[in-house]
Amino acid sequence: VSYLLFMCAVVPALAVQGPGIFPQPHRNEETEEHSFLDSIFWMAAPKKRRTIEINRCRRRNPQKLIETKTNIEPCSECGNLKQKHVLCSFCYEKVRRETAIIRGQIQAQEGKPLNNPAVETVVLYEGEKPADADAGKRIVERKRPRPSWFTQY
Amino acid sequence: MRLTLPALIAHGRYGRRMGLGPESRINMLRNILTGLVRHERIETTWARADEVRIYAEKLIGYAKKGDTDEKAMKMASFWLTEKDLVHKLFKVLVPRLGSEQHGYTRVFQIPNRDSLDRAKMAVLELRGNPFPPLVTRQPDSNGTLLNQLLCGYRQEVTRSRAAGGD
Repeated sequence: VSYLLFMCAVVPALAVQGPGIFPQPHRNEETEEHSFLDSIFWMAAPKKRRTIEINRCRRRNPQKLIETKTNIEPCSECGNLKQKHVLCSFCYEKVRRETAIIRGQIQAQEGKPLNNPAVETVVLYEGEKPADADAGKRIVERKRPRPSWFTQY
Repeated sequence: MRLTLPALIAHGRYGRRMGLGPESRINMLRNILTGLVRHERIETTWARADEVRIYAEKLIGYAKKGDTDEKAMKMASFWLTEKDLVHKLFKVLVPRLGSEQHGYTRVFQIPNRDSLDRAKMAVLELRGNPFPPLVTRQPDSNGTLLNQLLCGYRQEVTRSRAAGGD
């Protein structure tokens, strides 16, 4: 700008009548700003406070509530609650522990890994003798009386 | 061979996606099947138990052809990674389960896994295993003395009411 002013001072000015300042083009920013502000004024906003009655209707309608489960029933053996299509957790835990102990004894009998003999296995509890049907089977002995839920057939 | 139609035919697709790909899926199922033949009762996720069931029943079906059958031996040696179990399959499982046509395995759903994923678990077992039974049938209590006496009493009451009514 200082260079231009210097040039105006040295060179004779043009003999043209006209406004001292050239008319500036109307800036787009101002119009854009105006339309933006205008667009803000047309956004959605709540007009009235939602009353507690209306709020309750919305919050408590069945679609939003947790569904009640009808597939829970007491186990016929132990009385704990269980789902109808799932084994009772208490009864299964008993069976799982006993199975783990029996399997531990089998592992001890086998000694080393990959030593599974090609014979059936039978579990005998305190005071039980192998029957005729258990002739060639591998016998696993458990030092406790037979539990009532481990029936022999 | 489709064991549970709704479970397997999901949107017209047979067999689930598992592991890192089809090969990984077969390897995983092979390991689980080997475990099943060794221990005769195993706990896995429900989806894996459902898939292994198909392969277990097919394997036993093949093994029923006998020890000498080449195809049966190939199948057994592929699917059972531990070779002492091949003998167990032909000498123990086939005589035990051979009389039936299907239903050599049973699957029960158990409560969800304790860890963070709370996965849907199942216990998969072979029929006739030596372990305690998972499901005990309730004995029929109609034959007990008390129930028979009550039955007789009920019959007497209805008879007297009918007679009294007439």
